[in-house]
Amino acid sequence: MNDLLLDVREVSKTFVRGRLLSREKIVAVNKVSLQLAARRPEILAIIGESGSGKTTLARMILNMETPTSGRLLLDGTDLATINGSAGRLAFMHRVQPIFQNPFESFNPLKRVERYLLMTRLRFAGTAGGSTTAEAVDAALHKVGLSLREVSGRHPHELSGGQLQRVAIARALLAEPKLIVADEPVSMIDASLRMSIVNLFRTLRDELGISIIYVTHDLATAYYISDRIMIMQKGSVVESGDARDVLKAPRHPYTYQLREAVLLPEVANVSANATSSMNGLISPGTPERRA
Amino acid sequence: MLASVAQPHGDQDVQPLLVVRDLQAYYRTSHAGVRRGIRAVDGVSFTVRRGEIYGLAGESSSGKTTLIKSIAGAIKPPLEIVGGSMEFAFLPGYGGLHRAPRAMVERIRWRHLSYIMQGSMNVLNPVRRIGSSFIDFAYPHIGGSRKQFEQQVVAHLARVRLDPSVLSAFPHELSGGMRQRATLALATICRPGFIIADEPTTALDVVVQKEVLGMIRGIQRETGSSVLFVTHDMGVHAHITDRLAIMYAGRLVEEAATAEIFGNPLHPYTKNLISSLPRIGEDAPRTGLGGAPPNLADPPSGCRFHPRCPLASEICSRKVPVMREARSGHRVACFAVNGDDPA
Amino acid sequence: MVVFLRDLLRYRAEFRIGLVLVAIVLVLSMLASFSPYPPDSVYVVPPDLPPSSTYWFGTTSRGQDVFWQVSFAIRNTLLFGGTVALVSRLLALAVGLISGYKGGWIDRALMSVNDTFIVIPLLPILVLFYFVMRDRISWLMLALIMACFGWAYDARLIRSVVMSLRHREFTQTSLFSGMSTWQILTEEHLPYVVPILFSTTMNNMVWSIGLEVTLAVLGFTDINTPTIGGMIYWANQHTAMVAGIWWWIAFPTIAVIMAFIGLFLLAVSVNAHIDPRSRLWSTGEAS
Repeated sequence: MNDLLLDVREVSKTFVRGRLLSREKIVAVNKVSLQLAARRPEILAIIGESGSGKTTLARMILNMETPTSGRLLLDGTDLATINGSAGRLAFMHRVQPIFQNPFESFNPLKRVERYLLMTRLRFAGTAGGSTTAEAVDAALHKVGLSLREVSGRHPHELSGGQLQRVAIARALLAEPKLIVADEPVSMIDASLRMSIVNLFRTLRDELGISIIYVTHDLATAYYISDRIMIMQKGSVVESGDARDVLKAPRHPYTYQLREAVLLPEVANVSANATSSMNGLISPGTPERRA
Repeated sequence: MLASVAQPHGDQDVQPLLVVRDLQAYYRTSHAGVRRGIRAVDGVSFTVRRGEIYGLAGESSSGKTTLIKSIAGAIKPPLEIVGGSMEFAFLPGYGGLHRAPRAMVERIRWRHLSYIMQGSMNVLNPVRRIGSSFIDFAYPHIGGSRKQFEQQVVAHLARVRLDPSVLSAFPHELSGGMRQRATLALATICRPGFIIADEPTTALDVVVQKEVLGMIRGIQRETGSSVLFVTHDMGVHAHITDRLAIMYAGRLVEEAATAEIFGNPLHPYTKNLISSLPRIGEDAPRTGLGGAPPNLADPPSGCRFHPRCPLASEICSRKVPVMREARSGHRVACFAVNGDDPA
Repeated sequence: MVVFLRDLLRYRAEFRIGLVLVAIVLVLSMLASFSPYPPDSVYVVPPDLPPSSTYWFGTTSRGQDVFWQVSFAIRNTLLFGGTVALVSRLLALAVGLISGYKGGWIDRALMSVNDTFIVIPLLPILVLFYFVMRDRISWLMLALIMACFGWAYDARLIRSVVMSLRHREFTQTSLFSGMSTWQILTEEHLPYVVPILFSTTMNNMVWSIGLEVTLAVLGFTDINTPTIGGMIYWANQHTAMVAGIWWWIAFPTIAVIMAFIGLFLLAVSVNAHIDPRSRLWSTGEAS
């Protein structure tokens, strides 16, 4: 038995853009390491702005992208050694994704329960006994839905919040140990967002699933995560306990990010926003486009 | 303090910039023989005063985008204005841009009314340099010599802290933040009286977002323009708007000075919207609302929020609550707040 | 499917016109089975008679009834076009789906083959085949050769659609639901490719029939199997236009033009109607 569920060792990812003459190397992820313990489920938030490499890192953990250097080990198995459909299925049995846009997560021309049934059929493992439909219904109940509400529906007949719940239920059917969620609530309406966020907490506490929560939103990251990792231009600039890091940031970038969060309250009506912002970004400096 | 926010310039006698009265905008579709009517905006009334930033908050199916399209006169089938009027101070008597003659709308655009949208690519032509866009849109309205105009543009770009060199750049060569600042400069160079800002900072990173918001505020203060500011992000509203209206399922449910909305929300929907937002440093659990936003093709009867409302009573499913002033300058449409008034 | 056809009939005038034209041509071709004369025998009727109540379309200088000849010819021509379309669609589909989904070196290899077929000029190749094979070239072989040249452009079209689908999140969801590549291609992506398949089928038939007629008129095909092009070839051999036997050329020409226009209208209307965007459009956008 391995002590580490996920062991990311100094992974880097470099993209080459352009053709022969104007080749340009872009370091999306630069020597990032992170570990998740096998016995203690936790929510790890990876925070960064666009171009920080957080999505590329998440895609490498999901084995959708191969690192240029470094290794990723899941339960002691190097992701680079996985090949063949049996190996891939075993991997997906442990790690499942949640995507950003719930309306894009399912084929608009197909009924959503198709993905639930398929996942159950492919990964039906330990539970046994119950039929496929019962298992799907049970998974939907865990996210506050039921098969009756979902069956026969196409994606456009469900709300974004419902679809994201279905996406989570689908991931649960594979009985994973790790869920990688890339901006899972950024496209969900505000009135539904917190129930999804709370759901992640329930998954951790009741099902013992570790969650990697990739986001640009510091407030929700603070709210649900145990540990956070701040990325800037491909590198980790600060990481640690979520409360410690966000309450007392050490790195100037973390501080800058935290200060830029717009609080949902009107502190001082007469305060003019312009003055407080002077000097944060020097004029004319072109921010690098990802 | 509140009074000063409600009347930024203290002169209430001055005619408001935009008066929207009982606006109804529906999508009428007839696809493959199935006729459908989506009541995206259903009886919305509000007033934008001179020199204020009026915020409009709502979720994805609240109809706020439709409302903006209607006000901007971008009405194409299947969208139809079914009822109501939109009266602009600079376009009296027509009841909306869509009813005004085309030539007049052309004159008004950029001069009196401009837009800042989420995707700046909508305004900036991807195959033309930024400077050409300024000449295309703003020069006809400002006139004068080309040299003077250029000086004016450079001076104006300095306000959004852009170097004159961006004028010779193509839009794709700039970062998202710089592009949005260029759009902001383009939208404000003619000093229009009214600016429609539709999710102008949603696509930007947080640090850049705060900066761009500061610039919008700064230019608005300087030119005294009115801004109709639409976004779903309550944090942005708290940061920039003077007054704020909350939209739910095609109707306004609450409107007040922004500080009042955040300090003393009355409508149960607004209350949840504000209390559910997580804040750094607070560990209390937050809860979202149950249910889902209604389908506007078949909205609930009565108050459209009642199926999800914790305070719903029997009357809510029967009657449509009207917007009524609950306190000074604070309008709300809710039976639980206003009581069941037969009038 | 029934609803789909009913909607098409009700809302698309092009579809109605196209359907009528294609139906007339189809009925004409099916009548061939009831012909009183075998298609290749000559001098079974008096030659050079103009259209009359006995011989509706007149008779040829070779003593054949033009009506029954047109009937055989259009049947063979449609059969030819259909075969080319079917075989080339299968090729285009296989190459397009695999190339677009797999990417990498498979894509590069398939696309270099594909591009080769796009740039090779077809007409000289066909003429070359004719000179090498001479009388052994049957219509089926010609159809297969043309199918080999008729898939490349459409395979690129299909590939581009599948490439964009591959990067959409639902493909990842399918993958993480444990679906195999075959399942993803046939169940998730194929519905988006079907509209292309439909419209290109019609276009491909128009193209192959046109080419077959051209070749036949020039005499580069098996002229003993009656096709539209073959009829015009024989009419020219007998200088029908000069001799005033206009009906020998006019009726096959009218038949093939009706087939062309009919297929074209069907392609256009089905294409517009089956597009997933317009299908999804009915879900409304209310925000």
